[in-house]
Amino acid sequence: MTSNHIEMRGVRKTYRFFTLDDLSLDLAPGEVMGFVGPNGAGKSTTLRLALGLISPDAGEIRVMGHAMPDGQAAAKRDIGYVSGDMRLLPHATLGWHMDFVKSIYPEWDGGYAATLIKRFNLRTEQNARSLSLGEHVKATLLLALARRPRLLILDEPTTGLDPVARHEVISEFMDVLRDDRRSILFSSHNTVDVERISDRITFIDRGRVVDSSNKEDFLERWRRIHVQLPPGATLPTLPNIVGRVDDGQFITLTTNQFSDGLMALIGSHARDVQRMNLEEIFVANVMHHREARGQ
Amino acid sequence: MYSGINISQTDARPMYLQIMEQIRARIAAGDWAAGKELPSIRALASALNVSVITIKRAYLDLENEGVIVTRHGKGSFVADVNGLAGELKDAQLEQHLAEAAGIGRQLGLSEDELAARLRRAWKNNDK
Amino acid sequence: MNIVMRKLIAKELYVNRWFIAGGSAAGVASALIATLGKTGFNVGSLTWLTTIIATGVMIALYGIMNERKENSLQFVLSLPLSIADYVHAKLLGLLACFGIMWLLSSAAALLLVFLKADIPDGIAPYTVLLCVFMLANFVVVLCGALHALSEAMTSAIIIVTNMGVSVFMFTVAPMPGINKHMWAAAPVWNSTFWTVFACEIAVMAIAFALPFIFAARRRDFL
Repeated sequence: MTSNHIEMRGVRKTYRFFTLDDLSLDLAPGEVMGFVGPNGAGKSTTLRLALGLISPDAGEIRVMGHAMPDGQAAAKRDIGYVSGDMRLLPHATLGWHMDFVKSIYPEWDGGYAATLIKRFNLRTEQNARSLSLGEHVKATLLLALARRPRLLILDEPTTGLDPVARHEVISEFMDVLRDDRRSILFSSHNTVDVERISDRITFIDRGRVVDSSNKEDFLERWRRIHVQLPPGATLPTLPNIVGRVDDGQFITLTTNQFSDGLMALIGSHARDVQRMNLEEIFVANVMHHREARGQ
Repeated sequence: MYSGINISQTDARPMYLQIMEQIRARIAAGDWAAGKELPSIRALASALNVSVITIKRAYLDLENEGVIVTRHGKGSFVADVNGLAGELKDAQLEQHLAEAAGIGRQLGLSEDELAARLRRAWKNNDK
Repeated sequence: MNIVMRKLIAKELYVNRWFIAGGSAAGVASALIATLGKTGFNVGSLTWLTTIIATGVMIALYGIMNERKENSLQFVLSLPLSIADYVHAKLLGLLACFGIMWLLSSAAALLLVFLKADIPDGIAPYTVLLCVFMLANFVVVLCGALHALSEAMTSAIIIVTNMGVSVFMFTVAPMPGINKHMWAAAPVWNSTFWTVFACEIAVMAIAFALPFIFAARRRDFL
């Protein structure tokens, strides 16, 4: 099946104090998309729209070929959803939940589930109430992964986890990628993880998509250029400069379209070029867009 | 096979370059012999917890360098070029020498002083 | 009904199993106590009413509000069902939970009315009306809780409907059609009885149908 797993076009959702506007997003099979944004930007809202748990005020949403939210019962057969604040039913055990999910999904892989129990260091007799945050995330991930869903939607799956748990969780969902028919959409604050495992990255801020591109492209396009202008010297007009900080003779330029042409224009005044990591790119990108929108 | 490859996100070099260097090193050392099949892009991505797109880029660049060969539908293999390991090592040496020359100039060393330093390093290396 | 709904109803019964067991036991026990003389009758009737009300409140509160509070709603909604399926399963599941307890308690009460010699059978119509009222009451509470937009609203609905029990007793018991025959030896199923009965069924039917029309059509569930 070559059609996209997720397609959103011009989606709008209005709340009293917040509006998600003109959101478009595509996720193809075999891809991992990292969805990055500050708190309150609209990440969770977007993911819930994808699941059909919320209905858009405008725009179109198709997931696994089904129009959402009407097709959610069918679409969710093939989607695994894990959210950092999701909890299991309080008075039932993990084993009960596994049997429950197994009875609903014939694709349940008992062998893989058993492996995950060991790998995640969980026990089936554990009561949902007694699980720590990390164990809860691992448990809900286990319940989602053992069904081998084609699409994984993860809302802040590693937030609040200790480094060991984070590593275990990430390793497990990277395993999903061995199959090029499966895809992952995950939202996170943790730009280090996003930078490492995403094929594509979408930035969202205050309800709007700020930028969306493949990861290597982001990392190649963005640079900080340190310039030293002796007194009397000036810089020509430079294209694609989204940030500039002046400190006497020393100027720091931020560009989102680095090229040899740009360096040629700056000429001998350039002292140093620095790559930017995803967190720096994200912050610079958001600041630039907020300025552009007059915020 | 690939558990020995390590990607550091605190390293200044981009991830795809780190992967390329580590693969080149193994080929240069002979650990990865000519004709040996490389892990599939997805298998390596999953093993290293790194995005598929980064592995793809590394493999593409390695192929452009002639270090590996990708046969469509079959996989990627260490290029079966005679003396490839030696060539890689040679390129490595050139790079180090160029850097040394550059630093030597910055320190204000003369050609003879630099050569003397190289001889000393050669002797020390023998131990 | 698809398998997900069936499993959710089974889950409802499992999760509330202690309420069902405890409520049923207390209801049957109260009915038994009511057979022990005049004091027993007063005490038993009171505890019988209290048990059914209390269990109903627990099931409604726990069944609907807690899922939201405990963040397990997300888990249930991630299953392959629509929002309508969820509402229907919730309604039927919680009704089944209350229904079992209600059936056992009501059957015990009626059985003892007919079997015990010192309790006049004339009180049977009133007992039936009371039992059906309790069921209708619960369905109204369920309907309210499913539509309520906040915890405060849900609590208010529960309080108001349970005050209704007293109102019911003060209104129906003195009705001439009922009162005259309460202590008679044989039950009298007259038009007063049937009118009240019909009203109760009507209220129950409306309260049961409303979620299918409103809550199930809700487009935003979180």
